[in-house]
Amino acid sequence: MSAPLLEVIDVAKRFAVGSRFSRQGVRTVHALDGVSFTVMPGETLGLVGESGCGKSTLGRCITRLYDLTSGTLRFAGTDITSLSRRQMRPMRRRIQMVFQDPYASLNPRRRVRDLIAEPLRVHTSMSETEIASRVAELLDIVGLKSEHALRFPHEFSGGQRQRIGIARAIAMNPELIVLDEPVSALDVSVQAQIVNLLADLQERFNLTYIFIAHDLSVVRQVSTRIAVMYLGSIVEMGSADDIFSHPAHPYTQALISAVPVPDLDAQRSNKRIVLTGDVPSPINPPSGCRFHTRCPVAQERCRSERPPLMEQSPGRKVACHYPIAADATA
Amino acid sequence: MLKVRDLSVSFRTEQGIVRAVDGVSFEVGEGELLGVVGESGSGKTVSLLAVMGLITDPNAIIAGSIQYRGRELVGLKSRAMRVLRGKEIAMIFQDPMTALTPVYTVGWQIAEQVLAHQRISKAAAWQRAIDLLAEVNIPKPEEAAHRYPHQLSGGMRQRVVIAMALSCNPALLVADEPTTALDVTVQAQILDLLHKLRRNHGSAIVFITHDMGVMAEIADRMLVMYAGRVVERGTKEELFRVPMHPYTQALLDSIPPLTGEKPRRLRAIPGTPPILLNRPPGCAFAPRCAQRFEKCSAEPELGNGERAAACFRVTA
Repeated sequence: MSAPLLEVIDVAKRFAVGSRFSRQGVRTVHALDGVSFTVMPGETLGLVGESGCGKSTLGRCITRLYDLTSGTLRFAGTDITSLSRRQMRPMRRRIQMVFQDPYASLNPRRRVRDLIAEPLRVHTSMSETEIASRVAELLDIVGLKSEHALRFPHEFSGGQRQRIGIARAIAMNPELIVLDEPVSALDVSVQAQIVNLLADLQERFNLTYIFIAHDLSVVRQVSTRIAVMYLGSIVEMGSADDIFSHPAHPYTQALISAVPVPDLDAQRSNKRIVLTGDVPSPINPPSGCRFHTRCPVAQERCRSERPPLMEQSPGRKVACHYPIAADATA
Repeated sequence: MLKVRDLSVSFRTEQGIVRAVDGVSFEVGEGELLGVVGESGSGKTVSLLAVMGLITDPNAIIAGSIQYRGRELVGLKSRAMRVLRGKEIAMIFQDPMTALTPVYTVGWQIAEQVLAHQRISKAAAWQRAIDLLAEVNIPKPEEAAHRYPHQLSGGMRQRVVIAMALSCNPALLVADEPTTALDVTVQAQILDLLHKLRRNHGSAIVFITHDMGVMAEIADRMLVMYAGRVVERGTKEELFRVPMHPYTQALLDSIPPLTGEKPRRLRAIPGTPPILLNRPPGCAFAPRCAQRFEKCSAEPELGNGERAAACFRVTA
């Protein structure tokens, strides 16, 4: 077994909101709370959960766009938790990020050529001709034409813009790419193109992905393993196939059952578990198990005692006092 | 109850005329749920905005006929339309914040809507607002009525908008991607709510979405739109079991499955939807279609039947 590429150990991230002059004073948002996992080289870890569960915050912590409140990040054996901006620089070429909204993440006043060349100019001492040929190569890799190089972002469709974002991310031959909802803003027909492109790139360049999305069917398609998050913590983790075929946490089960399936037969056999209410506020997270306020099987113990993320079977972890047995849902 | 015949909506732009909706016809029966699917730019929203009389752009050209219970809506004076809208036809949007004003409490906003269409006292209107909030499953409706939109979550706001739309028991509800911005668990709640409301009020609903999964769950009949035209029409069962148009087939094929064997690659549709400014002659889907042949350089007709597809492969 090779060494993990990324180790996330007991990471927490808190934000202060409000001000001392506001009615409620300064309050703390517990965005991430004791998150730990490892990512092996070449795999795709899917992060799923509802909005506000902390999945994007986690992605931004891993790329060090946010500083951690506590915990440790180790990338390829090096502790990167508290590297300064300057120390972090050589790391940045190895860890890249692709954002959800390609409209917002590309500078509208710069040509595609310059957008893609930017990381090369920052990180390498390549000559202009070398850069030009690398840009042409990258455009080809992501399925764009060489004549696109002189155009501006607004001249492209959403799917093409996402291809530009991907070209930028892979320009430095990174090892890890954090993809934050890369296909959520795209139409279904284009979404499939990008999912396929990402799979091809992963195979070709031996990339490791952290794929953040709320669309469960897309996450299942791309991920080797999946971590399900709820209110800043991982509630369940395991291989993509295991999680979907027999979810152990009641939240995972409800989440999967809530997805409308475009198949009339599946529709009838699938019993939907409708969760009541909304995700509680991360400012005052519930006591005990954070899911107990919406959990259909919550007991007295869940209100007071917080379940740790425990290994249920090899490679499978669940944070629940009363996990669903594998045979019950098979 | 709603009969749309040959509806076209064009916009004059600096670059020329854009035919956003091009000869769209459909009908909605009493109490029926018609699902309209299509990608962004397919004209699904614009055609329904035309039905609502909400296209006020002076550069828009609307042609065709929209009949609501025998009454022609195209060319109707905006005042007459306003009486109809809200009272008999209501609409809910993808982003509930566009339909709510941030400066008044939600209870007040619903009550105002009630007062605009019914002759009742203010106190009665307020009471009605609370009843409506309770009907859309908002916990503690008396308290919620005093809240401002920004104090509510996305799902709660969408409920408020639905409550508003229901305030006058509309016979027809147009819902434009009402659950797209919501999490799946909240989406499930809203879909359940719409089911319940249909049972209790018997309203007809036109539901616009790009999500085939949502369609499979709620629609009675469906329209599939592409590049401003209807490319396929039929009942939900027909469309899902035997999709006729290659676009519908490809759309269903490109969705990653949630159960069963994982395909190694998804069957993506190559290319992107056409730009409507310079619509090429012939079938708009032909450049992306795996089944195209010589005939596709001509424009395929959508038949008049309840079940139809605009494709030469089908009619041939």
